[in-house]
Amino acid sequence: MPKLLLATSAIAVALSAPAYADFWSDAGANLQGVTIRGVSESTPPSNYVRDVLAPQFTEATGIEVEFETTSWDQMFDKAIKDMEAGSGIYDFVYIEQDIIYSYLARDFLVNISDALEANPSLQAPDFSIEDFTTFIDNFRGADGDIFGVPMEAFIKVYLYRKDLFEDPAHQEAFKAKYGYDLAPATTFDQWRDNAEYFANLDPNDELWGTTVQAASGHPAAFYEFFESIAPTYGVYDWGIDMAKGAATVEKGGRMNSPEAKEALAFWVGLLDFAPPEATASTWDEVASTFAAGRAAQGWVYGENAAWVATNPEKSTVVGKVGVALPPMNPGVMEEAEAGEGYIGYYDGGAFGIPHSSKNKEAALLWLQFIGQPSVQADWAVAGSRVVHQATFDDPKVKEVDAMADGYFTMMKEQGHLFKGAPEFPFHAQVREAVAPFIYEAIVGTMTPEEALDQAAAAAEAEMANLGYGGN
Amino acid sequence: MRNTTTGWLLIAPTLFILFITGMVPFLYVLAVGFLDWNTFAANPEPRFAGVDNFRRLVFDAAFLKSLWLTFKFTLFVLASQLIIGFFLAKMLMRNVPLKGLFRTVHTLPLMIAPIAVGATWRLMTVPGLGPIPHWMQQWFDISYVLSRFPDQAFATVVIMDIWHWTPLVTLTLMAGLSNLPEEPLEQARIDGAGEWRIFWDITLPFLKPVLLTTIFIRLMDALRTVDEVWMLTGGGPGAETRFIGLHIWRVVFPKTDYGYGAAMSLITLYLTIVMCWLLYVAMTGMKEKSR
Repeated sequence: MPKLLLATSAIAVALSAPAYADFWSDAGANLQGVTIRGVSESTPPSNYVRDVLAPQFTEATGIEVEFETTSWDQMFDKAIKDMEAGSGIYDFVYIEQDIIYSYLARDFLVNISDALEANPSLQAPDFSIEDFTTFIDNFRGADGDIFGVPMEAFIKVYLYRKDLFEDPAHQEAFKAKYGYDLAPATTFDQWRDNAEYFANLDPNDELWGTTVQAASGHPAAFYEFFESIAPTYGVYDWGIDMAKGAATVEKGGRMNSPEAKEALAFWVGLLDFAPPEATASTWDEVASTFAAGRAAQGWVYGENAAWVATNPEKSTVVGKVGVALPPMNPGVMEEAEAGEGYIGYYDGGAFGIPHSSKNKEAALLWLQFIGQPSVQADWAVAGSRVVHQATFDDPKVKEVDAMADGYFTMMKEQGHLFKGAPEFPFHAQVREAVAPFIYEAIVGTMTPEEALDQAAAAAEAEMANLGYGGN
Repeated sequence: MRNTTTGWLLIAPTLFILFITGMVPFLYVLAVGFLDWNTFAANPEPRFAGVDNFRRLVFDAAFLKSLWLTFKFTLFVLASQLIIGFFLAKMLMRNVPLKGLFRTVHTLPLMIAPIAVGATWRLMTVPGLGPIPHWMQQWFDISYVLSRFPDQAFATVVIMDIWHWTPLVTLTLMAGLSNLPEEPLEQARIDGAGEWRIFWDITLPFLKPVLLTTIFIRLMDALRTVDEVWMLTGGGPGAETRFIGLHIWRVVFPKTDYGYGAAMSLITLYLTIVMCWLLYVAMTGMKEKSR
């Protein structure tokens, strides 16, 4: 009898254990035949989702995932139109950190904290908000609830060619020409000198001095200037004071301040030392330019750092990549450390569920699946993105970190010095008003001074037109 | 009477579909054009704005520049396509060697979607990757960078459109030329008229219906060009190839300024109709005069 009892108990335990261990198949049992659809930008982290995580999720739950990876502007067009029309095409959408404030203002997104609380049976045992880095705070509403599960986060860093900077012949020639040692730039003058030196080495070679993300008809140019260059000159939040609706110095903004104008002149001036594709380069092309060995240094989005530094099938500079903080004006670092400023761009995004989704429960499971600790390390290696604190210490990530000259370490230890986009509900609208003037400065049809004076006026007019600020 | 009723009944489904797909969107855009409606404004609800959107347009330098660029582009491509298309049509009417092969190859661009044309030209013109900048540098010592030099970008967009659409003009003019009556031409030659005189006084008047149709089609296409240019230059450098279709797209989609974008669309439609009407009057008036 005791043996029978023991055997029965063992069977009961055996039957119940898999049920708990295999949460995903249990949770997906009532959702068989469901297909969830999502849209994101075609980036290394998103491509990993499409190629690896989506099939894993389908295998675990039986829920199909149709994941569309497209261009950055098409992604926003599709997602916003779907949510505005309430058509319910997408069950999850990519929410870039800079657009979340607009989405929250329009109440596009499902409150994930509330949804999890209301559906205890859908709460994955491995999913915890506490695992995430502070980047998740970007996706909290006013009461602290979560509206998006981070899927990528990275910093825009200064990449340079270690092999070139450490070459004794270059060091000697550089010192002879400029009177000081060749090194990664800590000042803007040094960046310019480095760029000039490498650009003028040999007119027939395919090496230029610096990348510039200066696509002259694409918002990427706007972003590099206002989110990477201007802050290092001490001009934060695009030079806009949202409370006052001000961008011009006259009204209390800083978009056309002397520092901003100096920053734009510096940045546009670098085009003389940049490869010819610079004026057609968005974030993708900048990474490709650097990976092709066509630039000695540059500001590169961290989502590309890992493959540029480690993937010999795509990159010609594997083992030659150095990572450093960008140069900045005196006082900027102190302001960043005090939380009053920042030294560059901390970008990333999350997946959120639109109210219009027709498969919210399945989407909720999916968001938790991509937020599990177990999927983070391989994803970080493939896409240089980290959203869990523990991922930094994973052996696989540490291995890549060593090859990428400490990119992940920098993100872990100095990531707090970087910041995402300002909390503007009018992000895209003001960007579209201002960007044409940045393009004019790139092409040279306006001086940096003219461009920023007109840009600041246009930004104020747009804010006033939209009903924001004190105009 | 019965025939008329039956006729209306037969075309009723078509009229209904045309009304739904053509008139309803137009009426919607017309209504939105009088609204102040930006879904990311502090007040995202649509509000009646009277003619404010249309008044803003008159002073909108970006819109006016975009219109001017569009007209300039249209003029260049239309004139070039008519001239090149006419000469190619004349050539293909003759018995030249490899005529069939050339006609097939010449017609191939017509079969390619505009977005693919733009992508192909972009690949050919990107510095560091495309062959055109390489050759321009090697052969002519010209730094060819579309994203930096506005004149190069504009010229390339024009050439791309000519390459894409001249075959259409060639084909339609070939149809027109092959239907020309022989007698007036022979009589003119017997009377000693020169080629130019024959072209101006006989060929051209007989070709006018075909020409008018071709010009209308190409004019309307050129005025609404978006996809090719969007792929090739994105409207840049700066706003130097931001034609009106692209400009409206940027206002309506990234800026989500629906009311203002609708007003732009309506003004553009109005200008297109006016241009077509003026052209029609000019050409049919010329026809009457030539009689």
